[in-house]
Amino acid sequence: MKTRTSNLDPKLLLGMFIVLFIVSIAIFQPFLNKAIIGNHNPLNISLFPMYEPPSLEHPLGTDRFGRDVLAITLLSTRYSLVIGALAGIFSTFIGIVVGFTAGYKGGSSDTILRTFTDALLVIPSLPILMVLSAYVKTLNILTMGIILAIFSWPYSSRVIRSQVMSLRESPYVDLAKLNNMKDYEVIFTEILPNLLPFLGVSLAGSIVGAMVAATGLEVLGLGPSGITTLGMMINLAIGWGALSQGMWNLILPPILVLVLLFVGVQLINMGLEATYNPRVRRQ
Amino acid sequence: MDKLLEINDLKVYYRNVTGISKAVDGVSFFVYPGEVFGVAGESGSGKSTLISGITRLIRSSVYIPGGSVNFSYKEDGKYKSVDLLALSEEELRDIRWKHISYIPQGSMNSLNPVMKIGDQMVDTIIEHSQKNKEEAMSLLPDILNAVNLPSSVLNMYPHELSGGMKQRVIIAMSLALQPELIIADEPTTALDVVSQLSVLYTLWVVSKDINASLLLVTHDMAVHAQMADRIAVMYAGKIVEVGKTSEIFKNPLHPYTRGLLSSIPSIDYDKKKRLEGISGIAPSSTNWPTGCRFHPRCPQVKEECKIKEPPITRYNDERYVACFLYGGAE
Amino acid sequence: MTQLLEAIDISKIFVHRRGKTTRALEKMNLSFSEEKPDIISIVGESGSGKTTFARIILGLLPPTTGRILFRGKDITSLTHQEWAEYRRQIQAVFQDPYGIYNPFYRVDRVLENTVRKFKLASSREEAKRLIAESLEAIGLRPNEILGRYPHQLSGGERQRIMLARLYLLRPRLIVADEPISMIDVALRVLFLNILLDFKQKYGMSCLFITHDLSSSYYLGEKVVILYRGKIMEKGETEEILKEPYHPYTKLLMKALLPPDPEKKVLLSEEIKYSYEEVGDQMGVGCPFFSRCSERMDICKEKTPELKALNENHEVSCFLYER
Repeated sequence: MKTRTSNLDPKLLLGMFIVLFIVSIAIFQPFLNKAIIGNHNPLNISLFPMYEPPSLEHPLGTDRFGRDVLAITLLSTRYSLVIGALAGIFSTFIGIVVGFTAGYKGGSSDTILRTFTDALLVIPSLPILMVLSAYVKTLNILTMGIILAIFSWPYSSRVIRSQVMSLRESPYVDLAKLNNMKDYEVIFTEILPNLLPFLGVSLAGSIVGAMVAATGLEVLGLGPSGITTLGMMINLAIGWGALSQGMWNLILPPILVLVLLFVGVQLINMGLEATYNPRVRRQ
Repeated sequence: MDKLLEINDLKVYYRNVTGISKAVDGVSFFVYPGEVFGVAGESGSGKSTLISGITRLIRSSVYIPGGSVNFSYKEDGKYKSVDLLALSEEELRDIRWKHISYIPQGSMNSLNPVMKIGDQMVDTIIEHSQKNKEEAMSLLPDILNAVNLPSSVLNMYPHELSGGMKQRVIIAMSLALQPELIIADEPTTALDVVSQLSVLYTLWVVSKDINASLLLVTHDMAVHAQMADRIAVMYAGKIVEVGKTSEIFKNPLHPYTRGLLSSIPSIDYDKKKRLEGISGIAPSSTNWPTGCRFHPRCPQVKEECKIKEPPITRYNDERYVACFLYGGAE
Repeated sequence: MTQLLEAIDISKIFVHRRGKTTRALEKMNLSFSEEKPDIISIVGESGSGKTTFARIILGLLPPTTGRILFRGKDITSLTHQEWAEYRRQIQAVFQDPYGIYNPFYRVDRVLENTVRKFKLASSREEAKRLIAESLEAIGLRPNEILGRYPHQLSGGERQRIMLARLYLLRPRLIVADEPISMIDVALRVLFLNILLDFKQKYGMSCLFITHDLSSSYYLGEKVVILYRGKIMEKGETEEILKEPYHPYTKLLMKALLPPDPEKKVLLSEEIKYSYEEVGDQMGVGCPFFSRCSERMDICKEKTPELKALNENHEVSCFLYER
């Protein structure tokens, strides 16, 4: 849909800036890592003296394992985003397939899919996720992404379904039918393009949602091994008693990244609504 | 007091993404007390923007670069005459509803769906006058009677009324304080033909009853034929013709007016002939044509029409027209 | 005489939540012949069921009871080829000249899709030529229309592109649902003239759905007066409008405003404020009962059937059932 820059809501721009900023940090992490600690792997233990307070050399200090906290934070952001992205993409994909089918077809397919979706929504996800991650043999990035996707696709499919249901009543869909277009053609060429911005935001929301869920698991100690993630940083910091000892530099950075990302996506949501819904728009 | 409302060279522009839209670009006319004055024109002619300029109910992107709107009214026994454009918001609020009431397009849908009709009417009256609740309520039976609505309506909610009834509620509210001027913008769109008739009849009777002038804006020429004493025809932000309704219908001067009148299917006309309509497309307000704005569609266009803009000239007694066919060329 | 399209005993009941039902249409019968093109107007207010009927005829909505026959065959049992032919011959123009376009694409796509889906051209060049020709036939300039997005064109242009689409297809029947109510006054007549041309030059029939009696009179021929899903009066336009029988038709005629300052109807006679309808429709009896100025007791208890007064005129009213 055509929009002009002057029409874009400031919330949208701010949100996009925040999200893009964090994503770029994750992408450029290898280079940033070099700038901070040179050619070392940030995960290596005892690179530096432990529990160093923040200084010029280590802007966020060092942790119990003698690792540079800033470098760890950057690497954690990268891994967390990857896990979130995997989970988000899987879940949005399933959500699209289920949501579009239920929304466009209606009738019995809708009823069946909806019942199934609602059932999944009702199941308390955290206990089951805990059990799953404890029992899965190899908990790596991929399996973590899949496990998280299992419980998050119902959310996106519900919203996608209602969007499709409202668009399918559009006069241009009628015209497409009069042009003898088949159902799948109508879905892909008429309805889907108009939902692209919406799907984009839905994906962003899924990713962040998955990151938060992953953090929840990781804080409890149920994270993938061999890497570092934002949740694992929090888990370690709590284990080291960082809170009671006032070592904010060990616990605040991962929380800040998560909060910023969450706020960024919310701003994008609000900003998009303002751009497309004239009543909400600021005059 | 000769003229109730006198508009001089009013311009209402607004900024939009593609440039400046000169929706109303130098409009002048006047309204006598106690008459029904119609403003005719299609969408894009500027007639709704004209009303928002007169009532100063404009959005922030709209501005008034020039002109005056002189309104003469009676307050506390004394005659006053003001330029509405020069008044402050507060002074305007004093005049709205008490001396000028405005029925915007689709206003029947602006009733609060969760409030009873009676409560809304009382609220509006209290807000625009010095009356208290009892005094406001005492006005209700008369105004409901004037619009032929039963008093049971006061206890109903908007969704329980038909479109025509809702519109008559709005009309009742608009005459509660007995204004000198009632402005109605497309009062019958979205109503079925039977409701249209009763709403128009109501407007007519009500304005005559309180001796108010009715400024009626609509694209429907049949409505003007039935209701208006005089009409102004608008095209592309300007007035192209003004005069008595019967004169204009009998003898339309401006080619646009002629085209407009030959676009109305009715039950009476000679079925053998086809109506002509007006060819071409309505111009865009950000890019008016040069010279006479109607020239690209005019069946009688001459060379000078493309370069010079015809001024409004007096044709006779009450008739004014802006067209080189009737003079005005230097 | 073979029938192109027949609507037989079409009824439609909508079921809302909590079991509430609305009867949108009741026993509608209408047909279009293959050989002799016709323009039939359906005149009704909002809530009369006219749009519902249009959608059922177009196969976009299934009726609750009744059948639609295309060239003698029920449309629910058409083969793929027959369905394609049905789509080819029964086409539509809708009311909203904006909503009919997918905002994501340029307006060209509507015409290109039509050419492509119905195989109207054998090459891209031929398609382009056909499209340009169709636009010019409707009085539009291709270079001002093609390549634009819907919001860049006026309502009149957009609605006329729909006519260009019909020019490309030359269907046997056009279902036009309030096609002129959202375009400028000056353009309306041009649109109606094109519909008349389509019938004269290409033999295309038209089902013209409107709330405005005057435009149905301009198109002439036959008219169906619809109220709350039931046909009140049906027959030749000229005859019915000059001498209406059904009280509802009489009311509609009375409510027409002549565009003539010499003929003032507002004050000429006592205007009876029609009994306003508030609340749900009744189950039995004539649907017009609550607003009828000539109602009788029987009208509340029994529903009148459509009966013929003469070969061109049918009314459903107890006033004429003797």
